Amino acid sequence: MEDFLHSIQILNYTVAAVALPLLAALINFCLPAKSKAAGWISTGAILLSCILSAKVFAGVWNNHEVHAQHLWFTIGKTEVFAGVLLNNLSVLMLLLVSVIALPVHIYSTAYMKNDDRYNRYFTYLSFFCFSMLALVVVDSLVLFYAFWELVGFSSYLLIGFWFTRDKAVQANKKAFIMNRVGDIGLLTAIIILFAQYHTFDIVQLFAEKGLIAQSIINNGLWVGPTGQIPALWQYVACGGIFLAVAAKSAQFPLHTWLPDAMEGPTSVSALIHAATMVAAGVFLLGRVYPMFTETELTVLAVIGCFTAFMAATIALTQNDLKRILAYSTISQLGFMILAMGVGAYASSLFHLATHAFFKCLLFLVAGIVIHQMQHIKDDNELDIDPQDISHMGGLRKKLPLTFIVAIIGALALVGLPLTSGYLSKDGILIQAFDWSENRSGWFKIIPIMALLTSWLTTFYVARLIFKVFFGEFRLLKSNPDIKLHINDGSWQYKLPLVLLAVCCLFPLFSLNPFSFEHAWLFKGLKSANFVESESIYHTFIPIVVNVLSLFVLYAVYAIYARPNSFAFPQSGFLYRLSYNQWYIDDIYKRFIVKPVLRLGSVCFWIDRRVIDGFVHLLAHVSGYIAKLSAWADQHIVDGFLHLLTRIVQRIGNFARKFQSGKVQYYLFSMLVIVLLLFVLKILI
Amino acid sequence: MITLTDFLVVSAVLFCIGLYMIVSKRNAIQILIGIELILNAAILNLVAFGKYDKVNNSGQIFALFAIVLAAATTAVALAIILNVYRRYKTIDPNDINKLRD
Repeated sequence: MEDFLHSIQILNYTVAAVALPLLAALINFCLPAKSKAAGWISTGAILLSCILSAKVFAGVWNNHEVHAQHLWFTIGKTEVFAGVLLNNLSVLMLLLVSVIALPVHIYSTAYMKNDDRYNRYFTYLSFFCFSMLALVVVDSLVLFYAFWELVGFSSYLLIGFWFTRDKAVQANKKAFIMNRVGDIGLLTAIIILFAQYHTFDIVQLFAEKGLIAQSIINNGLWVGPTGQIPALWQYVACGGIFLAVAAKSAQFPLHTWLPDAMEGPTSVSALIHAATMVAAGVFLLGRVYPMFTETELTVLAVIGCFTAFMAATIALTQNDLKRILAYSTISQLGFMILAMGVGAYASSLFHLATHAFFKCLLFLVAGIVIHQMQHIKDDNELDIDPQDISHMGGLRKKLPLTFIVAIIGALALVGLPLTSGYLSKDGILIQAFDWSENRSGWFKIIPIMALLTSWLTTFYVARLIFKVFFGEFRLLKSNPDIKLHINDGSWQYKLPLVLLAVCCLFPLFSLNPFSFEHAWLFKGLKSANFVESESIYHTFIPIVVNVLSLFVLYAVYAIYARPNSFAFPQSGFLYRLSYNQWYIDDIYKRFIVKPVLRLGSVCFWIDRRVIDGFVHLLAHVSGYIAKLSAWADQHIVDGFLHLLTRIVQRIGNFARKFQSGKVQYYLFSMLVIVLLLFVLKILI
Repeated sequence: MITLTDFLVVSAVLFCIGLYMIVSKRNAIQILIGIELILNAAILNLVAFGKYDKVNNSGQIFALFAIVLAAATTAVALAIILNVYRRYKTIDPNDINKLRD
């Protein structure tokens, strides 16, 4: 009984936590455009959500699952339920999303304060949080899909928030269209799952002894407890899920929208990259994890590994501050997918959580830096790109707090010991090596690529930090007489940074800073049959990674921070490959966008000439038919009627003559008629 | 020898003259005369057919009744004509058309 009441309470908290941002969005929607209340309403709502999520988390984590549902609708005999499912995964995400969203909200109140559409921004932001919070707690695939779409839609609104800029419009269109590709995949997968199991319920489908777990692929048939269909459909469903994950979590080949999504406000980028948008893909993978077979997981691992490597190489040469961070997000997401692929389920989600904190932190730092560069640009009327790191340098003296937290975030991203990134990233690397141990030689490439990627990560992160914060201020060198009035900003900037920086350190996740297996988050998520292997990798990998990382760090310092810095040649093939982002956008433009546009113009031509022509022909033909029938109506139908009236008139006039009022004439008529009758009688 | 046919021919001629007078004359008195002629044609027929009657002279007797009644009718008709004349100052039937609808 107590248990039951406990569950009810938790459910109420959950619903409140999810609904509060929606309420805030609705209130903000009604406020006048420049009302400063909007920011505090949204922030208050997310703060309450955060507290409630923490309560829910405390109640559910490692305790017992809460699953409640109501009958939603019935089609035929199929009953579709809608409800809330709270297990370790969903409460972790619930807490993570609200905790990340809180500092972003506080930060936004200052960051967006001069914007003309301040309240609209917070309306969107709250709506975004609502969509994501709802996405993580729902228990039905139909609802999941609905909120999945809402997350995509609200990210579309926020990426294109400054819709007067042409680039922002292009970027949000790109994000939306790329996500549609994934949405189609998810929808296909849901439909196939329903066809096979006749239910949308995530618990029934994916629970430990659920329908998926009882299904096997045998002789080309996918045999489940409720029926069997060809195994092809299983592959299609998994492919659909993968597409959805790739689109939302920016994996190759659908990753190109994420770097362009930088056109939104930086605070939005922080939210998208940390908790709300890209996390949805990994979360989906976590939800439907039992569906994937061994081979499909290997494919996932390969794709994740490739994405991680590719994005890291691209990040090496970019000069746009936010673009570097965006590619680093893609790379880290690749790590998460790789971890899912090698069976390191818990490590993947652990990395998702730690990554959320340090990436959010780094983006907020980037926001401050860009903001200050924009100030310098406006004050001195310079013509520079405020996001270009080649103008920056030496900012550590001007922005001391920003510098310190940036260092913490960067170290966590690199994964040096004592940070949260170390725990989660080394978990992934070690398990990747363990996984390849039992496989043939070619599979060794995957963990080695991952290892390489982590050094590349060190390189580009260090390059970013050194170029921005160390050395001399390069803008000052080229324009010696500019004035600088820059600082860390108000408490609304500082508080979120400090909060997030604290969360990037190890104590939040594990008391033992060197072992990922002791992290409470890892323990809560790992599957029951996880065996703690004591292979050589556990000691070997972290040492190799970190020692080499330190070397890389020093090398980068030597290259970028020293005054007489050495410059890389900027003409090699590899440089151009990296700088142009592996030409993927160009390939898409050439092989997809252009043919589609051409197809569009062909369709337009066909529409214009053939279909419109046919329609016009029909119009002309029917015009003529109408004229013909008008003529027929006027001359034949009306003519017949006129004839009838004429006849009647004649008869009437003829008969009228007999009614002249002359008595003799009456008599005469009578006589004539009688005579006629006689004549007729004689004749007949 | 005068046969029945001769009587009938005379009677038919009389009838036709009477009918012609009724239809064509513009004077009510002349029309009345025409009516009398038709009446007399009928009476002539009664008398002529009376020869073939089983009851003796019933045709002649009936003719007498008819003549008396005709005289009475003529009196009434003349009275009407007189009244019409008083009202319309004419006895041309074409001009007396107040009864038509």
